[in-house]
Amino acid sequence: MLNSYLTIMRREITYMWRDKGLRYILLLVTLLSLFLFWGTYSAQLLKDIPTAVVDLDRSNASREITDKLKTAENLKITARPGSFAELKELIKQGEVVTGVVIPEDYAKDTALGRHTRIYTVIDGSNFIYATNASTAVLSVTRTVSAEVGIQQLTGSGMQYQQAQEAYRGIQIQQEPWFNPTLNYAFFLVLGWVLNVWQQCCTLASCMIIAGETGMCSWLQIKAAGFSRLKLFTSKSVVHVITFMLLILPVYIIANWVFKIPFNDHFWLLTLFTLVFTISLHSIGALASSVARNSLDATRYGMIIALPSFVLSGYTWPLEAMPQALQVFAKVIPQTWFFQGVNYITFKNPGWEFISHYFIVLAALAAVFYTLAAAITAYRY
Amino acid sequence: MRQVLNIANYETRHVFKDIVLFGMVFLIPLAYIAFFSCVYIAGILTDIPLGIVDLDNSKVSREITTTFKNCPKFKTIDSINTYDQLEKAMNNGTVRAGIVVPEDYAQKTSHRQDTKIMAVYDASNLIWGYNIKRYTSQVIGEIRANHTASYLAGQGYTEKEVKNIMSSISGNIEVWYNPTYNYTAFILPALIMMVLHQIGLLSVCLTVTREKENNCWLQYLCSPIARWKIFLGKALPYFIAIFFNYALLTWSTSYFIDLKIIGSTALIVLLGFLYSTFITSAGFFISTKVPNSLQATRYIMLLSIPMFIISGYTWPATHIPGFINFLARLLPFTWMAEGFRLVTLKELGFQYVNHIILILAAAAALSTILALQFKKRQKPREKGLTVNCGPTYPGNK
Repeated sequence: MLNSYLTIMRREITYMWRDKGLRYILLLVTLLSLFLFWGTYSAQLLKDIPTAVVDLDRSNASREITDKLKTAENLKITARPGSFAELKELIKQGEVVTGVVIPEDYAKDTALGRHTRIYTVIDGSNFIYATNASTAVLSVTRTVSAEVGIQQLTGSGMQYQQAQEAYRGIQIQQEPWFNPTLNYAFFLVLGWVLNVWQQCCTLASCMIIAGETGMCSWLQIKAAGFSRLKLFTSKSVVHVITFMLLILPVYIIANWVFKIPFNDHFWLLTLFTLVFTISLHSIGALASSVARNSLDATRYGMIIALPSFVLSGYTWPLEAMPQALQVFAKVIPQTWFFQGVNYITFKNPGWEFISHYFIVLAALAAVFYTLAAAITAYRY
Repeated sequence: MRQVLNIANYETRHVFKDIVLFGMVFLIPLAYIAFFSCVYIAGILTDIPLGIVDLDNSKVSREITTTFKNCPKFKTIDSINTYDQLEKAMNNGTVRAGIVVPEDYAQKTSHRQDTKIMAVYDASNLIWGYNIKRYTSQVIGEIRANHTASYLAGQGYTEKEVKNIMSSISGNIEVWYNPTYNYTAFILPALIMMVLHQIGLLSVCLTVTREKENNCWLQYLCSPIARWKIFLGKALPYFIAIFFNYALLTWSTSYFIDLKIIGSTALIVLLGFLYSTFITSAGFFISTKVPNSLQATRYIMLLSIPMFIISGYTWPATHIPGFINFLARLLPFTWMAEGFRLVTLKELGFQYVNHIILILAAAAALSTILALQFKKRQKPREKGLTVNCGPTYPGNK
């Protein structure tokens, strides 16, 4: 009994190995993508945003602002254009992302208590740069504004401490949770690699039925009265084990070498990935069951796999998508997987919460496998 | 010319005959972009679930929490009243930000003792993280300004004096090109270019593999038709379809979801022409090299994500190591995505994108030269047993 299972499994391994294109994809692509994506995000934090300062005043007071900008979180002064027109040109050319213009007579106006304006320009074409730059600049301009205010109050006769109290009376501390340094690599590298991995797995799992029924040997299998369930189960076990063997080294390297935090949930994540792998395989089997041939099966599988990451809410939040799309997203295993990965690696959601994700993935797998079996039984 | 048109006609009939290929050439690019548009339709994150834990419940603390409640970017979740509840809600994603006012806050501040309010946010997803950080900074600024104003009023300053002191420096921040930090305006142009690249290549790459699988490629190779005519005839329908899709996606996103598409039409057309030429020629070249449609499809499917990430479109190229930047600059997608952004979002003229146009032209020329390199005399290769790597794949025959 077990022997026949093992024979089919050995056969499946041989077929997968001899499929050169698939072999290279499975062995190399996921691992290479880990190194490529880690390399891309190796800076990890978005520091040193290129900033230009146009100092039209050239006074001690204006130089103080420049010094503050130099030490500001995430900003780096890379240019000191002589005029606003030059600054505009630098932003157009993409040389700088932020420009701060200190007006003429800045020192004189502040000393006399007259209104003056520090003008800041941010290139909003890159969202990531723009959000970080605006927060950094806002912090500097507020500090400068508070210091000038304190100067004016002390000038009008108020005690220094009182003046300080007026501006700094309320202490509010911002605290990012789960990813305290706002590390972009921690946020995205694992997500992107898992996305590539699930695409590779989809390519392989789409072959499970179409790859068999499309070959002449299928007639022999049918004529021999061989159990389809046994054939399918044995092939599926090989696929799922292969997919897991592909992702485990990625997890180990990501966690141990690149120090991507798993929040001490390495084994929970591995178990969760196993459940997802079965669920993902069921989608591949379904695509394979309705396809005319392996090419179509691959296309159908990828139509689901390609946009699934965007739809999963791993980057742009699910809550910000239209309601209908949120419902649709929840039918796709990738949504539950990527959401679950985020919770497991960053947070401590507790078994009660995360078990829900396990159950949904298992239920989706059961539904997709049943559909695939029904379609296959009807067609072949 | 007649020969070219005949081949093009034959190819077009193939596209219309294969329903999946027809869908890929004419429907899927639009379907994908319609789908992505729906995903990013909000563009700006609002109604961020916020938990407020006011352990002081004083007048001062209520003023502060009310400012957060009144901020249109946040939506307060009233069921959260304790720190434990907030922690649990942050862990399970019920709230993405929280405000904690400690006990005796008002009393301690009045005695000038050390105490502070905590504004926490979920940074496990940095789209949430960056936005909440920015919104929170704005609200904190407002709270501090209100505090300063009321403090000065309490010290006997008149309203006018308070206004003068507080507005002595205004720090105007002007965000150019995308003033509302709209995520759709940022991400969708690159997705359009990626979809065109992916689906375009997937369609064209079948043009020769299909002939190989049907044992018809030999007829082309043996015929007295020049290579450039074979290439042109087979590539022409795809070039027209890709360019048509480029125009359709650009127009439809601008018309239906108000994607900012401004700038010179001539430049937009020129960029699209060069990009479509590159995709068509590169797809044809791949098609001549791979054994069958299945292999071509598999390889091309996996291109889009790495290409997108290393391009520097989202994570800036200034923060990407040199060798990866070098690799990215070899890919026309990198240049096209950047060029399209410069022209349509930043409304820049020819002098700012001339280098991009030159590079795309070089890429288009190079890929065309490579596409024309297929040999008309080929000896059939004899090899041992191959699975799915030969001139056929399961279900093809």
